[in-house]
Amino acid sequence: MNEQPGFHTRREFIRRTVLGGALTWTVPGFLANTFAALQREAENGRRTATGRDSRILVVLQMAGGNDGINTLVPFASDHYRRARPRLALPESGVLRLNDDVALHAGLAGFKDLYDAGQLAILQGVGYPNPNRSHFRSTEIWQTAAEANKFEHYGWLGRYFDNTCAGADPTVGITVGRQMPQAFSAQNPCGVTVDNPRNYRFLPAKGAGKTQIAETEDSYRKLNTVEKESENSGGSIGAIAGAGPMAGSPLDFLERTALDAQVSSDRIRSLAAGGENHGDYPPSSLANSLKLLARLIGGGMTTRVYYVSQGGYDTHTNQLAAQERLLRDLGDSIRAFLADLRAQGNEERVLIMTFSEFGRRVAENASGGTDHGAAAPMFIAGGGALRAGLHGAYPSLAPADLFQGDIKYSTDFRAVYATILERWLRTGSEPILGRKFPLLDFLPASA
Amino acid sequence: MLRQLPSNRWTYELAAHLLNRAGFGGAPREIEELRALGLEGAVARLVDDEQLPDPTPDPDWAARDPGRLERLRQVRQAGPEERRRLQREERERQRDRMIELRGWWLGRMASGPRPLREKLTLFWHGHFATSIEKVREARLMWRQNDLFRRLGMGRWEELLIEAGKDPAMLIWLDQARSRKEHPNENFAREVMELFALGEGHYTEKDITEGARALTGWAYDGVAQEFVERPNWHDRGVKMILGKSGNFNGEEFLGLVIAQPQAARFITGKLWNYFAGAPPSASLNAALAETFRQAGNHFRPLLRTLFLSEEFYAPDVVRAQVKSPVQWLVGSVRVLERPLPPPPTCYALTRNLGQDLFAPPNVKGWDGGLSWITTNNLLSRYNEAATLVQGARAAREPDRGRAARWLGGVEPERLFTEAERQNGAALSEALQRRLLQGRLRPKNEAVLLEFIGLGKPDEARILAAIRLVMSTPEYQLT
Repeated sequence: MNEQPGFHTRREFIRRTVLGGALTWTVPGFLANTFAALQREAENGRRTATGRDSRILVVLQMAGGNDGINTLVPFASDHYRRARPRLALPESGVLRLNDDVALHAGLAGFKDLYDAGQLAILQGVGYPNPNRSHFRSTEIWQTAAEANKFEHYGWLGRYFDNTCAGADPTVGITVGRQMPQAFSAQNPCGVTVDNPRNYRFLPAKGAGKTQIAETEDSYRKLNTVEKESENSGGSIGAIAGAGPMAGSPLDFLERTALDAQVSSDRIRSLAAGGENHGDYPPSSLANSLKLLARLIGGGMTTRVYYVSQGGYDTHTNQLAAQERLLRDLGDSIRAFLADLRAQGNEERVLIMTFSEFGRRVAENASGGTDHGAAAPMFIAGGGALRAGLHGAYPSLAPADLFQGDIKYSTDFRAVYATILERWLRTGSEPILGRKFPLLDFLPASA
Repeated sequence: MLRQLPSNRWTYELAAHLLNRAGFGGAPREIEELRALGLEGAVARLVDDEQLPDPTPDPDWAARDPGRLERLRQVRQAGPEERRRLQREERERQRDRMIELRGWWLGRMASGPRPLREKLTLFWHGHFATSIEKVREARLMWRQNDLFRRLGMGRWEELLIEAGKDPAMLIWLDQARSRKEHPNENFAREVMELFALGEGHYTEKDITEGARALTGWAYDGVAQEFVERPNWHDRGVKMILGKSGNFNGEEFLGLVIAQPQAARFITGKLWNYFAGAPPSASLNAALAETFRQAGNHFRPLLRTLFLSEEFYAPDVVRAQVKSPVQWLVGSVRVLERPLPPPPTCYALTRNLGQDLFAPPNVKGWDGGLSWITTNNLLSRYNEAATLVQGARAAREPDRGRAARWLGGVEPERLFTEAERQNGAALSEALQRRLLQGRLRPKNEAVLLEFIGLGKPDEARILAAIRLVMSTPEYQLT
């Protein structure tokens, strides 16, 4: 970690304020947890899994339920053409990968990556007892829970809990206004950034210099830790009692306020400093990825980035809407990888797309498709990636469908497990609750 | 069973709590007024709100839009280039109306005579979570909003049926295009999952059968009205929630509401909205029982809720994260300043993560802690400066007008001469007005240090107001 002035990480903050000097501050419950984790870490000699040269995972959510069948198109299938008299894509327009399947014409960006060996396509990914509700199914993907079990924390949140205790809050960054449930954790980690220029405490308009400095100073004090009374030698246990009740809204607010403070200077300067090299389309997804590229290029120690693209809930007039979305997706990711290549960071970054479900095999009466089940996932970038098609395309034969949907052949949690084990290099069992077979889109030695 | 709060426990802080939750808070004088009415009087003032006249006029395009059919005709007859121009004009017209509509509703919340009515309308908006992103017509969004305002305190079954037949809803959940050959399941699914029962209290089969019952509910796009199309309706026998019959849409919704789970579901959600956390199982059962005894009417339920001891429990008071709308409306009320112009309000609430008439998805806003991210929290602190110290206003819809300077607050309206002369007195008054409670001691010390013990100048008073609003404490209500 580079040492610049200011507290860059929660850990550093504690070191300087608590461990560093005589104990003149007490810390609320959440910091005490972090503090305890630091001690454990020191005892075990374990290094927190962040670092400038570590691998990075970018999770890209295609929100709304992308129609996987018109994304990875079984263009040669009669069942496909029969089920979709109006929506089946003409054989002439699609981007063929082999004699059976092709990419949607809008995915020229993905076709380029595929040809360059930088795209793995996992076919028929889903889970048992698929749920067709956006929210429940999104929740299942975000928490990696069984379809009949409710899990509070997200799979990435559990990863943070397991391997990143005490880390910089910027270990996970979401671009957008809301933090995804995937980041929800026992000791929440991660920051949410929408517009990096405003990601700070801004001075009031028309205020004088002195007042600006004093206001900023007071803002910092109002949003840090409890000032201690007299027991400067107090044990950690006593310190933990000083803050608001652990888990209370005030405790949560206090922690978020501190995370905002320690991360804002850093993210802002990196976002403003870097340059993008890549042919990005003019879209909000591309803007999110441009920001990610600048943060990665600037040396952010973030391990997981989360971005999303919405609009895939195509119950009506699907053809035009999906074409626009997929073109944006493919072009944006191609540009992002080109940008990372120019930085020399391409090998460090793996992008994983997912959508809460695919869509029904049969089209509906409104020129669209209704909520379905399994769909393909795309994994891009990453030096170690085994590009190409993986798994089998689920059968579209009516007799093979379950309630009108294709059946999954790969459990999405096996994809998560593979990424955890072979990309993020951590045990997947404590995070996913059980063992899943690892897939070969990443080699064992990755 | 719910017990009423003993009247001797009624205080300024609890009156503030009631006004914050059943409305959008208010200045000390308004809280004092409610306190003086006593608990029952204060609750009656909010719940029996038809006694207060509400003269707010509707937007002038809301009830009728006589030029619409002519505009549609022009679009149809125009050549390609002219059509694109007309369509762009229409998009801009709708966008400007939406900004006006949001300002209109926020105005009702901030200064209308019926705060609970507006708070409940906001609940129903989040509950039925219909978005302009798909509906695309401001007038229909206004109409749904008006429906929630008219029926929101009434009977559940009537509200649900009317919400189902509401044009914006018919478009939003695709019921408008559902017919017996291809029933669209969207509305039937959300009725079960999000509107009335909750996950786990129905089967996939109930959804497909419910969707069949609803076929024939359609939308007349020319008249912009609900229409029943008998030829689209599936007259066959359906099996829904264990009952079989030749059900139509209204009967389907009636069956859903008759489930015991329906009363638990909606009363639990209302409690969560007003009290800030889900009720315990026993409290939820008591709320559901109250609701059933009241014939599934909301008004008596709300009265019982706001009178109950549970609603004033220490872990309920000042423990709810303000929604962005609550933050904005509550702030202008305690700051006794007007709402910023509609375009600024629109930009501000979006920036804080709540875009009225455009909830993120059919589940509405998650609320609670999810309002708070590092980004949104910093935005709140910065928007506090906009409200207190002024800023450049966002552009007006007619883009010709120059940007305006948006005024801040006037300290002499908020604080007495004595309070403005003395740092300690000012700190007390700031907390009483802005928090109706106290900062934690450590933050109180920071505030006092900033103000100083002598007489602060006006700029410092304004900065102190902004600082109180830039604390974790201020984000709670």
